[in-house]
Amino acid sequence: MIVAEDLTRVYTMGRVKVRALGGVSLTVARGEFVGIMGASGSGKSTLLHILGLLDRPDSGSVTIDGTDVLALSDHRRTLFRLNRLGYVFQDYALIGELTALENVYLTSLVRGDQKEEYLGKSTEILRRVGLGDRINHRQSELSGGEQQRVAIARALVNNPSILLADEPCANLDSQTSKSILDLFARLNEELDQTIVMVSHEDWHKEYFCRVVTLRDGLIEEVTECRRA
Amino acid sequence: MTAVFAGLKVSAFLAWKTIERGNTGTLALTIMIIALIFVNLIFLPSIISGVVETFNTQSIDFDLGNIVVEPREGSQYIGGVTGLQKKIERVPGIIGTSPRIAVGVTLFYRGSNTASTLYGITPEDERSTTRIADFMTEGEFLANGDTDAIVMGAILAGREGEEGGGLPSLEGVMVGDSVEVAYPNDETRTYRVKGIFETQSFGVDTAAFVTGDEASEVLGLHDQASVILVKTEVDGREEGYKRELLSYGIQEEVWTFREKTGGVLDQAIQSFNIINTISTLVSLIIAVVVVFIVIFINTVNRRRQIGILKAIGIDQQIIINSYVLQVLFITAVGALAGIVLAAGMTAYLTAYPLVFPGGPVYPVVETSAVLRSIASLFAVSVLAGYIPAWQVAREDILSAIRG
Ligand SMILES: Nc1ncnc2c1ncn2[C@@H]1O[C@H](COP(=O)(O)OP(=O)(O)OP(=O)(O)O)[C@@H](O)[C@H]1O
Ligand SMILES: [Mg+2]
Repeated sequence: MIVAEDLTRVYTMGRVKVRALGGVSLTVARGEFVGIMGASGSGKSTLLHILGLLDRPDSGSVTIDGTDVLALSDHRRTLFRLNRLGYVFQDYALIGELTALENVYLTSLVRGDQKEEYLGKSTEILRRVGLGDRINHRQSELSGGEQQRVAIARALVNNPSILLADEPCANLDSQTSKSILDLFARLNEELDQTIVMVSHEDWHKEYFCRVVTLRDGLIEEVTECRRA
Repeated sequence: MTAVFAGLKVSAFLAWKTIERGNTGTLALTIMIIALIFVNLIFLPSIISGVVETFNTQSIDFDLGNIVVEPREGSQYIGGVTGLQKKIERVPGIIGTSPRIAVGVTLFYRGSNTASTLYGITPEDERSTTRIADFMTEGEFLANGDTDAIVMGAILAGREGEEGGGLPSLEGVMVGDSVEVAYPNDETRTYRVKGIFETQSFGVDTAAFVTGDEASEVLGLHDQASVILVKTEVDGREEGYKRELLSYGIQEEVWTFREKTGGVLDQAIQSFNIINTISTLVSLIIAVVVVFIVIFINTVNRRRQIGILKAIGIDQQIIINSYVLQVLFITAVGALAGIVLAAGMTAYLTAYPLVFPGGPVYPVVETSAVLRSIASLFAVSVLAGYIPAWQVAREDILSAIRG
């Protein structure tokens, strides 16, 4: 469960100050699939970065599963990301020198998992995202949709408490986008996976339990879409 | 502890994948440069050691033996030579003594004349002490009882039509020729050239030898010598033998060959070492710059990737270590290739040695020099790899990912 309260974030570019978040409060319950929407520049990525422990707000608080994550040292935050969060970037963000399988099990290696365990787990998750026959391919040998699915598998492999995804379908055609969203929906329903996903495509709404719409760094409206 | 180990495993994993699947051209080039730097670090010290080695062996083999006994302060000659020789030879480990009478003479041959040193020696004793007799290029060495024979070094004998160029030369003396020798006491003798030797030591190859009996007769000496060369069973323990000789009650001045040659060689080594230090520094700076640039470009090109690794929960120390491991790998393979190259170079220079005034110089690669080179190469490489990796890895995640 995520509890974020009154988050603000101001970027300073020389003399100009850009208010990316102007006091955003948000609670995501366990097992929810929350969509964050809004116009370009409304602060969606900024919010997700803060929830994903990749950035710190100027003020406000973030508690994830009872941990005040803003109080953690950089090293602890890294460990928290490793053990508790899964993050999917808009542009896949795979490691080019590694195969799909290696990309997926890299974090398990860091966690010190046994070889059979992480090989089994990673192969299984890749199979689940539909890449069972692509596990030894490298990034350059995969299509955009396949790369994004590897990234999703990487984010999911350690059973994160929360999956955060920043426009995971932005670079994909609608067919591939749909398959990714179906995958998210399935994970959410079958495994009760908590998901926070940024999107600006209206048709994605039908997948979300709840849609939080941002506008100029503030929450404009919250819509319940379907029951979890 | 297990976390540290798991971390190192990940560093090694990332490092190996980068090496395995990265740009092989750049990798090979970097390794080659490290190898050449290694050779450069080894080369000069091995030549310097070679020069020292050559100088020492040449001195022992042809010029001084291991130990030199000289007249005591104020006398020109050692007296009672035969007795003294016996006394010295009783010391365990002494395998030969050779008394020499040294005298400055002028030699005449056809139109040319030149000043040089003439030694009066006992052929049998000389054979037991120095190796000059083994280096005859023409004719034979002296034998006991020779009175009208002389042997001389190849430089002194010279070549027809060639002036010595500052060195004593009779411009083409051959075995069988007669040369005239003027002694400082105005006595003049004519000798038949019995042999010519070539030791490659300038000081020896410009000298001439007659028998001690002959020199004594001309100079009016009886059982006297200017110097006694002493040969020991093993080289390198001269100090001990010297103490032993003194404890046997030898009254004359006793020197190790090193004490006799020290000054000249020390100076040369000092100059060599200055050159070597400069060359080492330059090599190491090149190593630093090369490794720094390679890792810098590597990390800067991978800023985004480094950001991603941190974002998915990989500690920056693991990332830095993966670059340090890459550097270690490059340096290790480079040093290995360097050892192969250096071995090739050493083999070549052993087959075709460099010729110095003291004799042919064979490279002497000392283990300590190799270890020192490897250690310094690793030290500078790791430092040069760590700094750029650290700089990039500590960067803020989001700015790194944005690229
Ligand atoms: N690093 C930065 N430096 C300065 N300003 C920034 C930075 N990152 C974001 N901003 C500004 O903060 C505001 C919010 O940006 P953010 O990236 O959160 O928007 P977004 O909703 O994700 O937009 P998009 O849909 O285009 O991705 C924008 O005005 C943006 O220009
Ligand atoms: Mg965005």
